[in-house]
Amino acid sequence: MATHPRERPSRLSRREFLRLSAGAAVALPTTSALLAACANPTTTATKSGAFKLARPNNPATLPLFDSNPAIKSGLQPEKNATLQIYNWDQYLWKKVAKSFCDKYNCNFQITTFNNMDEALSKIRTNQFDFDVFFPTIDVMGKLTGAKILQPLNHDYIPNLAANCWPVFQNPFYDQKWRYSVPYTVYTTGIEYRRDFIPDDVIWGMDNPYEILWDPKYKGKVGIYDDYREAISMALLKNGITDLNTSKPSEINLAKNDLIDLINKVNVRATINGAYAKLPEGEFYLHQSWSGDAAAAWFYVPHYTQKYFKTIGYWYPKDRKGAVGNDLMAIPSRAKNPVLAHLFLNYMLDFKNSMDNFSWVGYQPPQVKADPGRLTTVTSAQGEPYLFPWLADAVVRESDFKTGYEELELSPSVDNLWHNAWEEFKAGAQA
Amino acid sequence: MLRRSATRSASKSKRDSRSGKGGVWYPRWFWPSFAAPGFAWLGVFFVLPFYVVLSIAFGTVDPIFRSALPVYEPWYWTGVHFSDTFAKIFGANAFFQPAILRTLLYVVAASLLCLVIGYAVAYYVARYGGRRKALLLVLLISPFWISYLMRMLAWVNLLQDQGYVNDILRFLHLISAPVPWLEGKSITVILGLVYGYIPYMILPLYAFLDRIDQSLLEAGRDLGASPVQTFLRVTLPLSKPAILAGMVIVSLPMFGDYYTNNLLSNSPKTTMFGNIIDDAVGSTGRGPEAAVLVVILMVFLIVPMIYYMRSTARSVSAE
Repeated sequence: MATHPRERPSRLSRREFLRLSAGAAVALPTTSALLAACANPTTTATKSGAFKLARPNNPATLPLFDSNPAIKSGLQPEKNATLQIYNWDQYLWKKVAKSFCDKYNCNFQITTFNNMDEALSKIRTNQFDFDVFFPTIDVMGKLTGAKILQPLNHDYIPNLAANCWPVFQNPFYDQKWRYSVPYTVYTTGIEYRRDFIPDDVIWGMDNPYEILWDPKYKGKVGIYDDYREAISMALLKNGITDLNTSKPSEINLAKNDLIDLINKVNVRATINGAYAKLPEGEFYLHQSWSGDAAAAWFYVPHYTQKYFKTIGYWYPKDRKGAVGNDLMAIPSRAKNPVLAHLFLNYMLDFKNSMDNFSWVGYQPPQVKADPGRLTTVTSAQGEPYLFPWLADAVVRESDFKTGYEELELSPSVDNLWHNAWEEFKAGAQA
Repeated sequence: MLRRSATRSASKSKRDSRSGKGGVWYPRWFWPSFAAPGFAWLGVFFVLPFYVVLSIAFGTVDPIFRSALPVYEPWYWTGVHFSDTFAKIFGANAFFQPAILRTLLYVVAASLLCLVIGYAVAYYVARYGGRRKALLLVLLISPFWISYLMRMLAWVNLLQDQGYVNDILRFLHLISAPVPWLEGKSITVILGLVYGYIPYMILPLYAFLDRIDQSLLEAGRDLGASPVQTFLRVTLPLSKPAILAGMVIVSLPMFGDYYTNNLLSNSPKTTMFGNIIDDAVGSTGRGPEAAVLVVILMVFLIVPMIYYMRSTARSVSAE
C-alpha cells in the first residue's frame, strides 16, 4: 500500500470562483476568447468555461455540452475489451475488478497515480483512453468544464438510487449526479498507539488535537504530507471550522501552529505513516484518515488481533471534524463507455462494494451497511470490517451534516494555502 | 601559372599538416566529427530538456488546472516566477533560506566525510590491494548494484529502534536506550548521503592513486622523508585533481538529492533544496517555481564546476 488515496492537493474556492463565474454564461465564451488572445502560441491552456465553486449551501449543477453527450440507453457492453481504470494506488481490490470482468467477459488494466495533481496533469491532456477515473470532489468543476468527463447515463447505474446514502442522491458538488457516483467516504482524525497513549488520555482532553503538539511525544508524531489536511487540522485545533477559508489571518495562524509542531515535537510529514509506520512503532500519534486506520491491520507486523488492539482512532465525539468522499467517473475519451457504466454500477452493488471495503479499508456509502454492525460483521477477509476498538472510524451519513469538508479553492486562495504549506515544509523557523 | 603553382603548393602543405602518419589525407571535418555523437547526446539529453525547464520557468500555468505550461518562444517569456521565487530566498520572508543553508552544510559535511573515508579506502586498495585489487573493488562496489532506493529502505530497517544498528550499539554497551535515528535527525541524513554517494568518490581516487608512479614515492623516501611526509608532500599533492574530481562528482548530485531525506527523515527540520523542488513539482500551480529553483541550483553549481574545469586544465597544461 504505497500511497492511499489520501493526498488531496489542489482545490478551488468559493468567493474567487463565484467572482470568476460571476456571469458564467458570459464568461464561457469570453474566457475562451481571452485565452486564445492572451495565451502564447505554443501553450496548451485548457479551454474551459468558468465554473462555480460548489458548496453545500451553494450547490453546483455541472454543465452539459452538446458536443459531449452521454451514451444512449440499451447499448451492449463492448466485446473483448480491456477496461482501463485510472485510480489511486491500492485503492481497488483487484479481486472485485476481476469478478466484474468474469461477468462481462472483458479484461482490466489499472494505471495508478499518487496524487490528484499528477492525475490531472495526465488526464487534462485528453490523450489517454481511460474508461474509469477516480476523482476527488474538489476537481469536478475543472474536469467537467474542460469536457474531460462525460455525463453519465443513469439507466446503466440503478444501484446508485437503490443502494447509496440519500446524501449522495443529489450531492451539492454534482447536482443530479450528472458526472459522478460516490466511491468511498472517510473522516480525518488522529490514529494513536493505545499501548503508549491510553484511550482516556486522548479522549479525556478538552482539545484532543493538542495532543499532537505535546512535547512528551517528541519524535513520534506525524501528520499527512498534504497541505489541505495538515492546515485543516491546525485550523480545527484553533476552533476554525471553515476548512476552505480564504482569510490570510486564519491561514497564518494554522501555519504558525504547524511550524510550532516542528519545534515542539519534530513532526514528520508522511503519506504512509498512519497505515504503515504507526503500526510498526515509528509513530505514537499520526493524523489519520479513517480508512487508513482500518487498513493498518494489514501492516501490523504480527497479524494478530492482540497486537492490533494497540491501534486507536480518535475523531471528535460530536462528529464535528473533517469528513470527505471520493468519486468514480467516466472520461469523455473512454473507449468502453458501456462497460465503464456497468463497472460503476457493479461497484455500487452492496456485496461488491463491501468486499472492496474489506480490502482497501475505505467505507462505501451503502445504505445497507449498518454503521452499528460494521465492527461485528465478518468481511471477505474473515475479520470485522473495522475492529470494535476502532468504532469511531466508522463513517455515518450524518457525519456529512455535522462534519466539515475540504472543498475546491480559488487559485488565489489555493496559493495562500500552498505558501503556508511551503513555509512549513521548508523547515522555517517560528 | 606561377601563382597557381604557388597556391597549389601552399594547399599541399596544409593538407600535409592534416595527414596521418602514413600520409593519408583527412578532410578538415574528419576528426571533429568524432565528437558528433557526444554533441548529439548532450543536445538531446541536456540542452533540449534544459530548454524545456527554462520554458517552464519563464512560462505560465494553466488557468484551470494550474499545471505548468511551458512557453517555448523567448519573446513571450515572463520573469514573474523568478521574482516570486527570489522573494522566498532573499525577500522579507525568506523562508527558503534555512533549507538552503542546511543543504550547504549537509553537502559539505557529507562530501568531506566521503573524502576522508573514500581516500583511506582507495589508498588502501591502490597501495596494499596487491593481486586482490580487483576483488576488493568489486566487493566495495557490489552493494551499489542495488538501486539507491532499495539500499535506503534497507537502512530504514537497520536504523529502526529495534533495528540491527541499535542492537549492535547496545550489545557493545555504547548506548543504553535505542537512538531514534529515524526521527528527523540531521546526522542520519548526512550519513545517508555519505553512504549513497561514496563509491563515486572511491572510484576516481582509486583510479588516480593506482597510477601514481611508485618511483616518485621511493624518491621521497630516499631523500629522507618519513612515510607520513611522503604522503603529505608527494601523494596528497599529486592526488589533488582526483580529490577535486571526486568532490565535484559527489557534491553536485547531493545538492539536488531529495529522497535520502524523504526516506530517512521526512522532517521539515532536515528539508534540503531538492525537497523544496520536489514539493514544488508535486504542488498545484508550482511547476514554474520548481523550474526556477532548478535553474538557480544549476547556476549555483556551475561555479564549482568551472573551478574544477579550470584547475583540471591547469594541471593538464602543467604536464
